[in-house]
Amino acid sequence: MRKSFKIAIALGATVAILGPLGYFWQRSLVPGTYDMATMGYADFGGGPAAGHSHGTGGLSVDTLTGPASAKPDVTVTLAAHQESNGRYTLNGTSPGPEIRAVKGQLVQVTLVNDNVTEGVTLHWHGVDVPNGEDGVAGVTQDAVRPGASFVYRFTVQDAGTYWYHSHQVGHEQVRQGLFGALIVTEPVFAEGIDQVVQVHTFDGRRTINGAAGEAALAARPSQVVRARVINTDAGPLRAWVSGAPYRVAAIDGRSVNGPTDITGKSVIVTAGGRVDLTFEMPASGAARVDVGAGAALVAGGAAAGTEPADDVDLLSYGTPAALGFDPARATRNFDYRIGRRAGFLDGKPGLWWSINGHLFPDVPMFMVATGDIVRMTISNTSGEVHPMHLHGHHAVVLSRNGVAATGSPWWFDSLDVGDGETYEIAFVADNPGIWVDHCHNLQHAVDGLLAHLAYTDVTTPFRVGGDAGNSPE
Amino acid sequence: MRAVYRILAMSIATGVVVQACAIAYALFDILHKTDDGQVFTKDSDNAGIAVHMVVGEMIVPVLVLALLIVSFFAGIPGGVKWAAITFGVLVLQIVLAYASYPVPVLGVLHAINAFALAAVASLAMRQARLAGSTQASTPVTA
Repeated sequence: MRKSFKIAIALGATVAILGPLGYFWQRSLVPGTYDMATMGYADFGGGPAAGHSHGTGGLSVDTLTGPASAKPDVTVTLAAHQESNGRYTLNGTSPGPEIRAVKGQLVQVTLVNDNVTEGVTLHWHGVDVPNGEDGVAGVTQDAVRPGASFVYRFTVQDAGTYWYHSHQVGHEQVRQGLFGALIVTEPVFAEGIDQVVQVHTFDGRRTINGAAGEAALAARPSQVVRARVINTDAGPLRAWVSGAPYRVAAIDGRSVNGPTDITGKSVIVTAGGRVDLTFEMPASGAARVDVGAGAALVAGGAAAGTEPADDVDLLSYGTPAALGFDPARATRNFDYRIGRRAGFLDGKPGLWWSINGHLFPDVPMFMVATGDIVRMTISNTSGEVHPMHLHGHHAVVLSRNGVAATGSPWWFDSLDVGDGETYEIAFVADNPGIWVDHCHNLQHAVDGLLAHLAYTDVTTPFRVGGDAGNSPE
Repeated sequence: MRAVYRILAMSIATGVVVQACAIAYALFDILHKTDDGQVFTKDSDNAGIAVHMVVGEMIVPVLVLALLIVSFFAGIPGGVKWAAITFGVLVLQIVLAYASYPVPVLGVLHAINAFALAAVASLAMRQARLAGSTQASTPVTA
């Protein structure tokens, strides 16, 4: 009797431990195929729960495309290939070909999948394309299977520095080279030298435009150089110019208003972000653009100096200008609180990234309607930096840790939110669709730091998983 | 059940040794690669760190949980107590690990607490061994 009583207690204690664990494990399992737009819970940010009625069933993502019939000004075909060493190339190179267009032109890119078994897509990072051209597998299109192709068509409305990369198994494909630069220039280009500085770390070696170490910068004295630094890695990058004072002319494809000369400081380029540095070549002809770890573009044999100890604070850099909308009249207010929590992510135990205290897929779906002015407070107490990237929109920084922005409007599509930091941002919801709002340390996105901004009247016919094998991160 | 308890406790203590080995390898591997001009970034892979994360977040926690559950049935004097203490020390160990990301100096406590984990697991093991020897001697005296 006494023994059976003991066994009963032991069994009870076992159930008390394993029961909740099993419950949470089971609850965390993500179905094999699902509609991303229905995951998690709707967060209306204090706005109305329903959008304007558009007749039957609202807008489908696959109807939100670029101009269907007009003749493209820039036509490119990119063939994605997986090499035997695990790297990915586009038309045989990594980074892929540099695409250049003039503001206002219609760009047409045909993506052909040579042999990438898991499929590929192309996302136009920083270009606010129509949703159907955004290239997110399982949300805006199906991954392009081997032998198949997909045509992207969009008008480039803002001059600036952008890049493209796969958004199918992105953490692996981007890391292994499936990306390239997309440059949109003003109709009349004012500067002398327009130089892409595309930074990627391959197998522990930091490269600029695919080459490790130092490369030549062909610039002569008194020429103005625009160095378009693109950070294609997973962590923040420090860039700086030595030999001449430089300016941060643009951030994430948006011009900085009233940039001032910088010397002896570096500028942080967020993972996925871009910063255009401009400088006039000195009379000596010796200057260099450094991106750390020994990678640099060098003119006139300029010697490497020490890395600057300080960074430019973009919160107070440049002079204020009109935003074009009033953030005080926001119709939606969202919180995007990044933390870390013990739990199961699709059945896997661990301490995972949380959004507003929830683990993926039980994360907020930020719901907006076209025309809304949106404010979002992004805070991070997770212990690591997160380069947050919102697709399809440019937002402006209002404040950091309660300190209001005092410089040029700081427009961005990729923003480093450091541990312990809180950013208040605002944007206009002017591009209907279902847009990923995620961490561009792409492994973090795989590990659940992934939410969406969804317009109330938009639906998607695409599914994550399924026959197409869509795996957006 | 006593043998299972003892083996689980021993495996936990061994797990701590494996963790120390993995992290030592990781550090020397990173240092060695800098000889070759490589940099360690957010994109970098490291086998030692990967092993440390799998053993620390999956294998040892499963072992500790199993020890706790087995302790309910093993009937070892003090067995549940030492399994529960081991569980508590492990939770502290994981908390210290993640607290060390923003505050690296806390890694020192993570290292010290690793010895504590090995120690309490060893005491649990000893408890099982003592209980086993008491039982073995019981028929003789009875």
